[in-house]
Amino acid sequence: MAQVPVQTIHRDPQLFYWILLPITAVMILTGVLRHYATVLMASAPKKLDQKTTREQRALLRGINVRGNFHTLAKPSFDVRRDALTTAYESGAYLKSPENRGQAPPNPLSDPSSMEGMMGMMKNQMAMIIPNTLIMSWINAFFSGYVIMKLPFPLTIKFKSMLQAGVATKDMDPRWMSSISWYFLCIFGLQSVFNFLLGSDNAASQMAQQMGGMAPNAGQMFGPGVDPDKQFLAEAENLAVIEHYSVLDGVEQRLLEGIKV
Amino acid sequence: MAPSLLHPPSQLSPAAALELSQQAPALLQSSPSTVSSSPLGAIFSASESPELWIKYENLLLSCLRTGDDLAAQQCLERLAARFGEDNERIMAFRGLVKEADAQHPGKLEAVLKDYEEILKENDTNIPITKRRVALLRSMGRVSEAVSALVQLLDFSPTDAEGWSELADLYLSQGMYPQAIYALEEVVILAPNAWNIHARLGEMQYMAATASGAGGSSYQKHMAESLKRFSRSIELCDDYLRGYYGLKLVTARLLKESGKPAKQNDEGGLRLPDTSTIERLNELATAKLSEIVRHSTAGDRGWRGYDEVEVAAARELLSEDASAASRIER
Amino acid sequence: MSVEREFQIAPIVQEAVVHNSRTLLNLQSLTASLFGVGAGILGLESYSGFLFYLVCSLLTAMLFYVVRVAPTSLASGTGTGGGGAFDTSRYFRSQVEFWTGGLMNGLAGFILTWTLFYGLVRA
Repeated sequence: MAQVPVQTIHRDPQLFYWILLPITAVMILTGVLRHYATVLMASAPKKLDQKTTREQRALLRGINVRGNFHTLAKPSFDVRRDALTTAYESGAYLKSPENRGQAPPNPLSDPSSMEGMMGMMKNQMAMIIPNTLIMSWINAFFSGYVIMKLPFPLTIKFKSMLQAGVATKDMDPRWMSSISWYFLCIFGLQSVFNFLLGSDNAASQMAQQMGGMAPNAGQMFGPGVDPDKQFLAEAENLAVIEHYSVLDGVEQRLLEGIKV
Repeated sequence: MAPSLLHPPSQLSPAAALELSQQAPALLQSSPSTVSSSPLGAIFSASESPELWIKYENLLLSCLRTGDDLAAQQCLERLAARFGEDNERIMAFRGLVKEADAQHPGKLEAVLKDYEEILKENDTNIPITKRRVALLRSMGRVSEAVSALVQLLDFSPTDAEGWSELADLYLSQGMYPQAIYALEEVVILAPNAWNIHARLGEMQYMAATASGAGGSSYQKHMAESLKRFSRSIELCDDYLRGYYGLKLVTARLLKESGKPAKQNDEGGLRLPDTSTIERLNELATAKLSEIVRHSTAGDRGWRGYDEVEVAAARELLSEDASAASRIER
Repeated sequence: MSVEREFQIAPIVQEAVVHNSRTLLNLQSLTASLFGVGAGILGLESYSGFLFYLVCSLLTAMLFYVVRVAPTSLASGTGTGGGGAFDTSRYFRSQVEFWTGGLMNGLAGFILTWTLFYGLVRA
């Protein structure tokens, strides 16, 4: 069994001070900067006129009634269900009843919807721009150096990723270049940001990417959604509820559960 | 529990409010007098925290309660310097200070005029709308207050504060069904609020007693009242008001149990049978006396009950005991 | 009775759940980074390093359970929903998340500091 000799490479200790530390420091500082930039760029919620507020909150009320129907006794729930479904179906809560049945306006032509998209764009930009800048900075200044050895072995497939810019065929894939340290920082610095900025910070890019995938809550009243359709759907949802109440049998539960 | 400036002072006793407002000079002195609202200024000036502004707001309210108008004015100025005069909350606070300063009813009318002017410009200013309702109520124009509040709730039906105020207004006019409806809306918005459940139980009880034992809705109201109190206790098993109400309702039901109870099954709630009511009554009595005993002795973990509520519970218990001894004799 | 109804009768406050899991997450990522420092200084390589991490994070979970969760859980008696002595349901929704969640959450931080200190000390 042939023992593969352990490769040793003598590197200048100065590499640490001039490559490793700068990259790490820059990564941390960018994260902090990104956090504060997002905080400053967050636009205040837009003022809505009374009719829009009414439309949105009327729908919210229906959703609340549907979600918490179990707190009501049956007669009280029935009264609300009847009132809400009638109002929803007749379009009483609509902002502009005369537009009922028409196709919603194109979201791109509506100035109010542009603002929401701008907000999303800003967030995306705050994430993409620094990353691109740092990557090109690292590539321009530090490419071609081998700076570190991973403490665990990897298969040969990782070689092209970890040793980008180092064209040495026989080198162990454990040796890594500056760009791989950068990637390691992206994933590993989450916890550092957690301590520096609190856990709901904007610096952690992973969380933002996850958030981008989940359906946005603000999307419900977003542009291009026909409120009339939403109301009709909500009326249907209310109509199919099979009512029960937490008040049913509460005395029995109380007598069983509470000991003095 | 010591009064803290981080909680709104509306529930505090006068003594506690006084204690808070006496902290005013110290707090006003220790904090920087102006904090710039521009982002550039924020970087260079002293750091601020949301707590500071909550403190200012609560200090403002406490100072108004205790008549320290000067300190209140100072708090207001600082809040306004930070958030701007056209912030809706600040506008409401400014109105509040003006109301407190008003010497005679004519001044109050002027403040009311101001509110209406503001609302004419921007009809979604909820804090000012609420101030207007409160002012109308304190001026005794309840029906106007109700209609203003109903208008607010029409375009903002998810406002729990508004609904509970409306319930209180209706209750003060003796309009029980309306009050119950409004409070049920609060329960929908806050399904786990045990105090609201107990309050709803109280309202149902009041509605039941008002309609008289013979009324057709009496059974329904009593049943729901009983269940609301039970639910309140289920959510918070130390809640004094819940036990108090439960005892009140069950005692009344037991007193009337001799009469034939005609239950109508129109989809409503039904009263449990007599033995269950008896057990509930025993439970409430036992728990109430436990609370009264521990709270009077000041035991650890039993503080924080309102003195007035404990006294009322004690009275209820002693009434009950004297009634029982009379029967035994 | 369905699960949904049970939650409606005995509600769970979402904020409290979030707070608990956030506390746990903070602890996990902090300790994972510190374990990375330890592993790097000890000069552990490949499997022994990961084994070190596994043992240490399980130990953290154990300590967290013994110091913070167990006293109140066992005393109240309400939280023991069948899990016996190692039941965390009083504070955490998922048992698996409590015991092994740290492994996933802290791994990236662990590898970062492990690599860094291994590089600083050994190479």
